[in-house]
Amino acid sequence: MDLNLFELQKTLQSCGILISFSGRFSQEIIEELGDAVKKYLETESISQNDTYNVFSIFIEQTQNIKKYSAVKTNCLGGEKIANSGIVTIGKTEYGHFVSSGNLMESEDTYALTSTLARINSLDKVGLKKLYKEQLKKDISVDSPGAGLGLIDMARKASRPIEHSFIRLDNEFYFFTLKVYV
Amino acid sequence: METLYIEATKSTPEIQFDPGNNKISIKGQSYPENAFKFYEPVFVWMDAYLKQLEQEVVVELYFNMPYINTSSSKCMMMFLEKLDVAHQTGKKIMIRWYYDRENETALECAEEFKEDLTLPFEINPLGEEP
Repeated sequence: MDLNLFELQKTLQSCGILISFSGRFSQEIIEELGDAVKKYLETESISQNDTYNVFSIFIEQTQNIKKYSAVKTNCLGGEKIANSGIVTIGKTEYGHFVSSGNLMESEDTYALTSTLARINSLDKVGLKKLYKEQLKKDISVDSPGAGLGLIDMARKASRPIEHSFIRLDNEFYFFTLKVYV
Repeated sequence: METLYIEATKSTPEIQFDPGNNKISIKGQSYPENAFKFYEPVFVWMDAYLKQLEQEVVVELYFNMPYINTSSSKCMMMFLEKLDVAHQTGKKIMIRWYYDRENETALECAEEFKEDLTLPFEINPLGEEP
């Protein structure tokens, strides 16, 4: 297939995407991109608060993908998962959004689906309560995360979190998350 | 006790714990790859410090953290809870939390930490430091 950047750019633009990165996430890439996102938004006419929320959702999404890849390092599909990350920041009529995707093993999709359903069923008061419960729960030092990321994104979101799973084969799904600020 | 000093990086705050003047400060953004690993030496230092701390000594903690990711928030909550327990056993601990006036989310974040604690916890906009 010929590389047609013009077509790719048209696709990105038609989805309202302003910034995108596809590939393996490292902490360094997350930090550099995070800075770029902040600087870019400073040139747009959006409030400092919205800029902060976009940055924060960007960090939580990319770190979630990074952590998931780390957990899967020694699995058969580990490399494939690690290279499957993509994150975009864009703007539509509903405002700015952060949307990201990555491959997931089929068996991991059930727990995530039910977590997302639970989060989307809660209002801001319910989300705060759930966040606080999770914040105070004891977790071990080697736990990959605090289990707070999705709840925090939902609290900062202006619309319900959107997600989808595209089935690739028996083993893998491609998971997409979209959060509007 | 020895002073604890950790230099800031893009994703970790500067940490300055001085047992000589009982002033402790955490300054900067916090979103490291592994927050628990980053804050572990901070917890260890604080546990040892609180253990030897005498009741009449006043400890001041200065926080200025423009951005805290969720796993760092979890660590901050654990850290503040240690201080709250010390406060409940009669130690004199004072929190001074500074935030940027333009950033409502940072203020809300500080208020949420404060909500569940009993120790003296001041929240001030930046630019009004002593």
